[in-house]
Amino acid sequence: MTTTTRNDDGDDDVVVLRLGAAAASTAAGADDDGTAADVSELEASIARKGDEIRALKAGGTTSKSELAPHVEELKALKAKLLSLAVPGEAEATTTTTTKTTKATTKTKGAHGGGKGRSKKGGGGDDDGDGETVVAVGVNELRDSRLAKVAAMRDAGVEPYAYSYDPNSSASELSRRYEGKLEPGEEDVDNEYALAGRVMVKRVFGRLAFYSLQDETGTMQLQFDKSRLGERDEGSFGNLKAWTDAGDIIGARGTVRRTEKGELTLYAREWTMLTKSALPLPDKFHGLTDVSKRYRNRHLDLIVNPAVRETFHKRARITSSLRRQLDARGFLEIETPVLHVQPGGAEAKPFETYHNTMDMELTLRIATELHLKRLIIGGFPRVYELGRIFRNEGISTRHNPEFTSVELYQAYADYNDMIELTEELVCGMANEVCDSTTIPYGEHTISLERPWRRVTMHDVVREAIPDFEFDLNDPSTLDAAKAAASSAGVPDVHKLTTVGYVLNACFEELCEPKLIQPTFVIDYPTEVSPLSKPHRSKAGVVERFELFATGREMANSFSELTDPVDQRERFEAQAAKKEAGDEEACDVDEEFLSALEQGMPPTGGLGIGIDRLVMLLTNSPSIRDVIAFPLLKPEV
Amino acid sequence: MADIEDDTGVEGATAGMSEVRLDEDGQPMSKSALKKLLKKEAADKKKAEKAATRAAEDPDKAKKASAAGVDDDELDPSQYKANRELQVKQIEASGGNPYPHKFHVSHRIPDFVSEFDPITEPGVKVEGPDKIVSVAGRVHSIRGQGKLLFYDVRGDGAKVQLMASLKDYAGGGDAFDELTRTVKRGDIIGARGHVGKSKTGELSLFPFEMQLLSPCLHMLPKATAGGHGSALTNMETRYRQRYLDLIVNSDNRIIFERRSKIINYVRRYFNDRHFLEVETPMMNMIPGGAVARPFVTFHNDLSLEMFMRIAPELYLKMLVIGGLDRVYEIGRQFRNEGIDLTHNPEFTTCESYEAYADYEDLMDMTEEMLSGMVKEITGSYKIKYQPKPNTEEVEIDFTPPFKRISMIEGIEEKIGEKLPSFDDPKIEVKLELILEKFNLECSPPLTTARMLDTLVGEFLEDNIVHPTFITEHPQIMSPLAKNHREKEGLTERFELFVCGRELANAYTELNNPVVQYQRFLEQAMQGKEGDDEAMIMDDSFITALEHGLPPTGGWGLGIDRLTMFLTNKNNIKEVLLFPAMKPTDEQLALVSAHKKENLCTKGD
Repeated sequence: MTTTTRNDDGDDDVVVLRLGAAAASTAAGADDDGTAADVSELEASIARKGDEIRALKAGGTTSKSELAPHVEELKALKAKLLSLAVPGEAEATTTTTTKTTKATTKTKGAHGGGKGRSKKGGGGDDDGDGETVVAVGVNELRDSRLAKVAAMRDAGVEPYAYSYDPNSSASELSRRYEGKLEPGEEDVDNEYALAGRVMVKRVFGRLAFYSLQDETGTMQLQFDKSRLGERDEGSFGNLKAWTDAGDIIGARGTVRRTEKGELTLYAREWTMLTKSALPLPDKFHGLTDVSKRYRNRHLDLIVNPAVRETFHKRARITSSLRRQLDARGFLEIETPVLHVQPGGAEAKPFETYHNTMDMELTLRIATELHLKRLIIGGFPRVYELGRIFRNEGISTRHNPEFTSVELYQAYADYNDMIELTEELVCGMANEVCDSTTIPYGEHTISLERPWRRVTMHDVVREAIPDFEFDLNDPSTLDAAKAAASSAGVPDVHKLTTVGYVLNACFEELCEPKLIQPTFVIDYPTEVSPLSKPHRSKAGVVERFELFATGREMANSFSELTDPVDQRERFEAQAAKKEAGDEEACDVDEEFLSALEQGMPPTGGLGIGIDRLVMLLTNSPSIRDVIAFPLLKPEV
Repeated sequence: MADIEDDTGVEGATAGMSEVRLDEDGQPMSKSALKKLLKKEAADKKKAEKAATRAAEDPDKAKKASAAGVDDDELDPSQYKANRELQVKQIEASGGNPYPHKFHVSHRIPDFVSEFDPITEPGVKVEGPDKIVSVAGRVHSIRGQGKLLFYDVRGDGAKVQLMASLKDYAGGGDAFDELTRTVKRGDIIGARGHVGKSKTGELSLFPFEMQLLSPCLHMLPKATAGGHGSALTNMETRYRQRYLDLIVNSDNRIIFERRSKIINYVRRYFNDRHFLEVETPMMNMIPGGAVARPFVTFHNDLSLEMFMRIAPELYLKMLVIGGLDRVYEIGRQFRNEGIDLTHNPEFTTCESYEAYADYEDLMDMTEEMLSGMVKEITGSYKIKYQPKPNTEEVEIDFTPPFKRISMIEGIEEKIGEKLPSFDDPKIEVKLELILEKFNLECSPPLTTARMLDTLVGEFLEDNIVHPTFITEHPQIMSPLAKNHREKEGLTERFELFVCGRELANAYTELNNPVVQYQRFLEQAMQGKEGDDEAMIMDDSFITALEHGLPPTGGWGLGIDRLTMFLTNKNNIKEVLLFPAMKPTDEQLALVSAHKKENLCTKGD
């Protein structure tokens, strides 16, 4: 974790400092921990020095020799600051010619608008030498790189190319030459073109080694002045002068294995594809702050290959799910996101407004009621994989928009849905994990079928063994509350039925303990307004929720098809809403009218895709599996 | 509401009733509704007379016509519903379950037909304990009476006949009578029995057991026997009660199956080419990536105003910056605009981004994908399409390659003169003169971009029938496209038009952060000039661009419009299962009640 300090000028996003060899050794030599006072004093001096240089430049001093002493002084101050701020990091990133130390400085007012951006040519940033970059502040760095953009344009080279034709990739070359080519040997017959981002740049006189990263992996590039010169005399000089780590380049050449045995693209030519205006964050220190990772997902993806892997897996998971459902004859459907009336779940909706229709709308909190209309309309198997919106707080398990799949199968019940859930999840696990035994945090999750099935009643009894909940005897409500209270369940006094008490006990005492996949079945009727009454047990419905790693993963019922019963359930919801429950829904007359048309016996299943992806990619937070999670705005 | 006026006889009568019932759902009975009611009564009378005549002429037919359901057709809808509800209560009171939990289906109806039709002989019933088959579906018609009834049951787009005979029925006479008395047209039923064909060769199930699975409490509008015409043609009703539309107009399911095929084709196309499917936020802090009015919403917990996305473009480009070289997203976009034949406030697009590709590559890709899709789905490169209601059908040819027209050159050719150059300070005045000359209207503000758009619409887009790329748009019309590598003032962009409608839009992406920043500033200026559809500055996107976006080709396709072409529909509502509709009176009442409630709680 990088030490975070604050800059006074407040217009920098991320500041990456790079020091030359001399400065780095100073940094390495200083081993005192800096105090806050030291740091702020140094920062003030740096700011003063920077202003001085800017003033000199503004006053017309352009000669390098005149500016050099001031720049040197600034470098020294920066180095000192670094040594205080980041003790012992001098060896973090090592290059052959220079030692490079990077630190990230986070400033307040990060999104201050384009204030610093239009500023041109300010700052003592002219390093003149690509190897010992001393750039200070993001604006100076940007200007230095934009100066290279201008230099390229002057030389008639487009720094933002229009297209490129890479004919291979890092992983393809690795595969193709695995076990081939002795150290020092070259395949002279084949020429390959790669494109990607320069991650490391190392130059030794007439020779340079770059590390190039593309989507599939990294490949070493070797540039040799004489070899490049065969096709373009100035090519090597340009490479040295124009490229920085972070740039996107294309390189064409043959493949050889170096003496050390590393597979290398031995370039005959290179092309600047996109000149990056900002440097890369430090791989090890620059981007470990999770909130910064989520806010700058593009950087996260560049420096953390595991993140790329997670999103590849996410795509394979949804793709596998679609394939499995399509193969079973389910039709993929799109139902509206904008609803006239919220329904299908108990949750607070987002509200919005359609201007020309002068109409208040809510964003869907579930796809259930529309999909059921399609079952009524005669599509016997439908599903929708899509975004759901709930106006609730954000946490490691909650994002206001999340992805779910809901599916409905006519003539099936919740028992069929249990089988289907096991099959689908195992199918996805085999696709991305190649196994049904998967690691999650400190746990090993076994998806070996069949999974445990337990009624809510029985699992609560494990936590409260000395009390028998009777859902059908209201006179036992007080005793149930007392039992729940003494077991440590909070806020039971407000609950109005034994079913609510049982559910509260389950959520409080049992849910977090359900680490291995478990179907909890037969829920109290009052917490399940869209489920069919159990065919043989009074007071409960035919419903299950799937739990794993202490989290709800899926929810399923034998769907309620009786419109009279459904109306009563809606009315109970409306009464709850009346009593102040913002998550309860109203009576949905349109849906009732659809039910009256006759809905076949139907099994429905909803799976939370984000949580499933968390499980299958061993990710602790929902933000790890959503490319751009919602975060609190930065102050 | 007047679509059925020409109908007479049985179909017209039932349709009329269903319309009346719907009227009772909310609106006071209008003059036309009253007229209809009278008409219905007349039709009923006529029908009774017809039945009587038929009975006199052909006793066999009369037996069929006076099936179980016919008497019910005489009832008015609310009486019908009351009767059915009573029936349901009676079943429950006698210990039965009108809404059973499970019925095991051994064959989906299409599978039943495809498996048994070829191997069954007319007049033969295949019996035996291992030959038992069970099916379920919705009853669409009932014929016959007494000891032999014929049920047409539909499911999954196919039909099977149940030939229910007392002599086959396992439960005995009372049970058979009870069941046949109970089951009405519209009910969901299940049946177990043996497969066979009637003497006339109709594939049938001969059930020994039948079960009511879900009663239909409403009278089902009847489909016409000949298959032409329908009892449910009123568009309001069809869209608002899509389930009824799907039940009665069973061909409409094909539209949505085809829609699913189109999306699957696109997905497979990209997956095969190593594109990664991703999901980006639908709720944004800044609505970017396109120019359109956004929906506004509010996150309570964060106390944050947010916008529904109008395009996923900026997020997808950030992923390409992050090193995901080929990404695509198929998903919903939202624009707070009016509803018409081609616009719904939420619609589905596919956007893709491919590093190291340019707009030329994307034109080739578009040709390959669309021609391949049209061929695979329709069997031919050529499709028939009726562009607008009450117009002639045209033939659209998707055979590649598609025609390419450079926008400015194309306009100049049509108007027979040069357009002013983009650095001409008087460009706006000159364009206004051209508009005047051709008598063209452009809604204010009269910016260069908007006036050019008017010219493109008039002289290029409207004349296009076959797929045609309009290319090389001026920079001022394309704030996110890269400037043309050779032509000053233009961008590397194309739009694909088919039959006058934009189907796809793509460009070599602008990846120079400094230029992008300037373009955003220019857009902001246009916004100040009163163009409230100008793009908004997005700082975090600029910062991302500064980290380097590789040369990238970006591409967007309108899924709804493509589905319209491939299903020959000229109204977007036909290809959306639940199109946005103006609120009904009940919904308005509910909303205002809800508002009052909110006011109360706020006042607390």
